[in-house]
Amino acid sequence: MEISDGSILLLTLRVAVVSTLVILPVAVGVAWLLARRAGPGRTFAETILSLPLVLPPTAVGLLLLEALRRSGPLGRLLDRVGIELLFTWKAVVLATAVMSFPLLVRPVRAAFEEVDPRLLAMARSLGSTPFEAFRKVALPLSWRGILAGTLLAFSRALGEFGATILIAGNIPGRTQTLALAIFQRTQIGEDDSALRLVGVTVVLAFVTVWTTEVITRRKAARTREGPA
Amino acid sequence: MIELDLTLPLARFTLRVMRRLSGHAVAVLGPSGSGKTSLLESIAGLRAGARGRIAIDGEVLLDTRALLFVPPERRRLGYVPQDALLFPHLTVERNVRYGSPGGEGAEEVGRLFREAVSILEIDRLLARFPSTLSGGERQRVALARAIAARPRLLLLDEPLAAVDVALKGRILPYLLRIRDELHIPFLYVTHNAGEARAVAEEAVVIREGAVVFAGAPEQALEWISQGDPEARFDNILAGSLETTVSDGGGFRGIGVLRVGEARLVVPTEDADPASSRAVFAVSPEDVLVSNRPLVGISARNVLPGAVVALEIGEASGWARIRAQGIEWNALVTKEAVRELELAPGRPAWIAVKTHVFRRLR
Repeated sequence: MEISDGSILLLTLRVAVVSTLVILPVAVGVAWLLARRAGPGRTFAETILSLPLVLPPTAVGLLLLEALRRSGPLGRLLDRVGIELLFTWKAVVLATAVMSFPLLVRPVRAAFEEVDPRLLAMARSLGSTPFEAFRKVALPLSWRGILAGTLLAFSRALGEFGATILIAGNIPGRTQTLALAIFQRTQIGEDDSALRLVGVTVVLAFVTVWTTEVITRRKAARTREGPA
Repeated sequence: MIELDLTLPLARFTLRVMRRLSGHAVAVLGPSGSGKTSLLESIAGLRAGARGRIAIDGEVLLDTRALLFVPPERRRLGYVPQDALLFPHLTVERNVRYGSPGGEGAEEVGRLFREAVSILEIDRLLARFPSTLSGGERQRVALARAIAARPRLLLLDEPLAAVDVALKGRILPYLLRIRDELHIPFLYVTHNAGEARAVAEEAVVIREGAVVFAGAPEQALEWISQGDPEARFDNILAGSLETTVSDGGGFRGIGVLRVGEARLVVPTEDADPASSRAVFAVSPEDVLVSNRPLVGISARNVLPGAVVALEIGEASGWARIRAQGIEWNALVTKEAVRELELAPGRPAWIAVKTHVFRRLR
């Protein structure tokens, strides 16, 4: 059965949206801890969190596969609660989530680091709990960084390939995203239809990266004006 | 009543304050870097390293021996830092409402908000963002935000320092209104002995983290002049203002301020009643000193007196001159002191122009 380009695009978008939404709150929390808590463990945590950026995606995929196989530590747990993950679209989500997580954490952490800690102290003194100060002061002051990080992670999720193919396979109609479909079509010599998909990915990537650029530009311009 | 038994290690020395402060308005004086801001931040609960005991009106906020630390959000203290620290992403209105007490009904919260807005006269600014405000406006908004949260004590860290001299006169009256109309006690950090004398009932002088003086603000003066290059000594004059007396010139915009036996010609406003209480400030730069009677001079206030004390540094310093029952601070150069042969006990005349009197209230 021929799977239409449209349904491949839809699956890709769905996976990217779900994975970005899943990691967003976690990444914001982690970024906050990294920005505010100094300590010996911080550099170590930062390094671990950045590993997916530098490791070959296939290596990350293999590690995930090992952890998730039925005999693996996580796999046994998932098996007991009856969750089938490997080689489903949820596995695609997991792979893209792991690979795009550090890209979301970094800009958010940078934005949090720019928030004057004295403003947070001021909020505390005006009756806010630490969490309220975070929600009412740090979050709104960092929204550009959070949005930029979200779009960056989203665009990374759109193109994830290496980790995905290891834990989700390349199953048309089930786990085949744009990146996987392009690979498969070139393998079987359908270069023209592969190029068509490349066109789709270029448009998608352009829109997200361009939006990110616009947001960060505006932020830079505003900082130059320097509201004291 | 503020009970302090506080230790806080700082970079160059350790701040140690062991004091009971009973006054409703306490001025904290001392050179920059002497630990004044650290003291306020410790009381506000913003310094993790503070050890000892802090209690306000009997309620213990910190007692490290009993492992008690009340977090800043439950201390109900209105902290106003030097740079106002307004939330840049919120309008003035939302800044002022930020600390509205949660347990209160909407009616009470609204009343506190309107009171703060009207006392600090920031009605026109409510829709604006902090980045569009002037320094003086920011300070007023920060003060309003602090008092709208109904604190039991205000901690004011040089609220006038970031404001230029002309604006000071406009902020000081608000402080006096907060003290006299809202009856919120405050701890007030300043370099200006004149201000301290105008607003405070009690003064504490801190140097290198230690309290070197505590007592009446008038007596703090000599402690401040030593070692604080930023110390200022505005002349603050409180008295009864009469606007209709004919010998005050009989001109519109001119009145007479009676301070004890002294009668000073000062500027008035059209709205002033025939007789009222008023407070004026005169900068020490604006007081002229002469060693002989002054005649044929445009200044309306020429008073005979005598030099009380001189504190002269490398190039300039302070001359304290008693004239008609008032002790005036004048800023003089070393050269002038030499030329006029000024010395304690020697006669001196001072001249003060009408329009250098700044109305404080």
